[in-house]
Amino acid sequence: MSTQAPVLMIIAPLIASIFITLIGWFRPKFSHPIAVISLLISSIASIQVFQMVLSNGPQQYFLGNWPAPFGIEYVIDHLNSLLLVTISVVATLVALYAKRSVEKELPDKLANYYTLFVLLVTGLLGISITGDAFNLYVLLEIAALTSYALIAFAKGRSLMATFNYVMMGSIGACFYLLGVGYLFIKTGTLNMTNLSQILVSLHMSQAVLVGFVLIILGMWVKMAFFPVHGWLSNAYTYAPTASTCLIAPLMTKVSVYVMIRVMTSVFSTEYVFNHLSWHLVVVAMASVAILVGSMMALSQRDLKKCMTYLVVAEIGYMVGGAWLGNPAGMTGATYHIIADAAMTACLFMAVGCIIYKHGHTSLDTMKGIFRKMPLTMLGFVVGMLSMIGVPPTCGFFSKWYLISGAIEAGQWHFMLALLFSSLVNAIIFFRIIEIGFFGSLGSETPDPHEHQDVAVKEAPLSMVLPMLVVAGALIGIGIYTSDIISLVIQPLISATF
Amino acid sequence: MIWQFDLILLTLVVIFALISLRVKDLMGASIVFGAYSFLMCLIWAGMGAVDVAFTEAAVGAGVSTVFMIATIYNTGRMIKPRPQDMSFKLLMMLVVVITGAFLLTAVNDFPEWGDPYSPVNDHVAAYYLTHSMSDTAVPNVVTSVLADYRSFDTMFETAVVFVALIGIYGIIRRRRKQDDSDSDTDALPPYDPSESLIIRQASRMMVPFMQIFALYVVAHGHHSPGGGFQGGVILGASLILYSMSYNLPTLFKKMTEKWIILLSAIGVLIFSGVGVICMMLGSNFLDYSVLSQILPATDSVMARSHAMLIVEIGVAFTVMCAMVGIYTSLASNGRFDKGL
Repeated sequence: MSTQAPVLMIIAPLIASIFITLIGWFRPKFSHPIAVISLLISSIASIQVFQMVLSNGPQQYFLGNWPAPFGIEYVIDHLNSLLLVTISVVATLVALYAKRSVEKELPDKLANYYTLFVLLVTGLLGISITGDAFNLYVLLEIAALTSYALIAFAKGRSLMATFNYVMMGSIGACFYLLGVGYLFIKTGTLNMTNLSQILVSLHMSQAVLVGFVLIILGMWVKMAFFPVHGWLSNAYTYAPTASTCLIAPLMTKVSVYVMIRVMTSVFSTEYVFNHLSWHLVVVAMASVAILVGSMMALSQRDLKKCMTYLVVAEIGYMVGGAWLGNPAGMTGATYHIIADAAMTACLFMAVGCIIYKHGHTSLDTMKGIFRKMPLTMLGFVVGMLSMIGVPPTCGFFSKWYLISGAIEAGQWHFMLALLFSSLVNAIIFFRIIEIGFFGSLGSETPDPHEHQDVAVKEAPLSMVLPMLVVAGALIGIGIYTSDIISLVIQPLISATF
Repeated sequence: MIWQFDLILLTLVVIFALISLRVKDLMGASIVFGAYSFLMCLIWAGMGAVDVAFTEAAVGAGVSTVFMIATIYNTGRMIKPRPQDMSFKLLMMLVVVITGAFLLTAVNDFPEWGDPYSPVNDHVAAYYLTHSMSDTAVPNVVTSVLADYRSFDTMFETAVVFVALIGIYGIIRRRRKQDDSDSDTDALPPYDPSESLIIRQASRMMVPFMQIFALYVVAHGHHSPGGGFQGGVILGASLILYSMSYNLPTLFKKMTEKWIILLSAIGVLIFSGVGVICMMLGSNFLDYSVLSQILPATDSVMARSHAMLIVEIGVAFTVMCAMVGIYTSLASNGRFDKGL
């Protein structure tokens, strides 16, 4: 069965989504177990594929047994194998975490919600695994449509936020499709490997340039890179808790992956950094993105919204690192995709626990939150330390590589922006410590019930446990950094530079 | 392609696009937009992309216009322009002009239209054209590319339609208890179709023919333009026509909310199920040729042809239900009892 593992990882959630709709219509409470089981199958398959890549090098899978470039091909190499594991494992943990939160927030839509939930994971995995530029677009559509719906399920303010997201997301997807169209006109193929072979001789072509720019622009819109980041904050803030926990860590990261995939596998670093010489402009934009994201995060009075702006800043890290044009920057960017997926998952899961018990996340009302929800805040602290970049956590190592890449490229402003962002994260962290740890509980809330429960009032175990697992993973990834770099990222870097 | 025709059509497309942007009455704008889609359909047909033209006519000019009308029915018909939007619009226009100019810079670099030696016609497509018959026994190459060579894409396109239905249904479906509380506040304007005798009689005659034509389109996709998507849309359109000429409850007597959702899921299940069976028979996902082991009296080439028909039927199920489901959700404003 292991030869079928690549496709099993994708179709397990797809078929589960159908059965969730069919069975969930009659028995909504079965929706959640089906979702979790299918995601577990996905995780196991992805780990199997990861091991195969580590031991035997890149793997191929031909769908419908049609050889590439005539059929669609799955290519799993070092760049995406670890990402696939991250996506499927984070999604499984979020699915476990989602049970109580979805039951509370959307009690009458369980079947619809989990149908879209597993389909979103299908889309994200499909984008990451495919070696076909158009297949990527189809899965991008699945991921986009499901995420619109998963956000809009919250009703209220989320509807307008989703509308903005739909507009921007559609523009991003259109740009990508147009770009692929331009490349298709010049090459006649959609297979990425085949594209890269043909494109080598087409470096001077204006159409290829336009195609490249369109694809990159489309992905920037999708990942909320600086000038087009406006949609992200509200969409993520007003979404249901479980949706934010799934979409915020994975969706933007997968877009970054697509950007790196197009830069390195479809085009080449030779084309991107030597032939087109405007990569340093992008690094400057990334610096601005980090500054803007951090400043906006600092000015928020709501924890969840603050976190969404940190996501904007983190996008700047990865785009900047990828466009620095040297191995260290690219190492940092690819490593940070994994690290940031885990960090954001951890933080948003902690925020979700607070919402579950507390109702909202306004900073002013969080006095004594550390005493009330010690485990949640433990996870939050680990996530935040990783965001700041404190050594045992993975956030330190990605920042290390990014900064050394910036120094190597002589991009001091990018280095300063990274340090500034760390500083801002530390300020936000200490502000929360100040309010939540030292602020006395209930001094401003006259509600007598609040006073009685000064002791622990923790979110349910099914929510806290997955979050703590992710928090543990942050430290775990940090400890195994050297293995990840040498086994996974080094082969990739040596192949591209 | 005749350039005089194309010139006229493209000019009209631009004019219609501008009109639909300028019209303040949204009902008018969506109808002009439908006309725009129909002109696009003519352009596709002129370029020889008949399958695309078919889809554009059914989806762009037909069903999506109805969706817009159903939405307008439940929201509002007139735009109230705000002067402060003007600067934003001008800025956006600048962005659009720059993007368009950038796109046009590459036009000189494109191969000639219809050049048989251009990369598109020379590389992968050439393989499809020369091998489709011997590989799959399907003369319509568009179908064999869509449903076999690149069937994985098509499976997910079907899933996209399914997602659209579940998403729209999930977002705007209202439960009964909420329904009671706000039924007074936003009651729908009364709509009594009982006087429209001519419309009723005409559509009563049209619906069966539309459905038979749709079945033909699904089944005959191997040999002529068409297939699951187009056939499914026409089937859905026939049901929408039926509900528009009578009313929503009449449609729900024939096809309940439950069956709309379940059948749309079953359509995707048929498609992906075929893929899983191929895997169980020991080959890769969606490798139809191994189905010859279980389909009677077929070799591996005919198995591909037959399997394409099966998956097209799955696509037709999902698309039909999605069209009806999206229309009924929008028209009844999520209540699924009464509406347009």
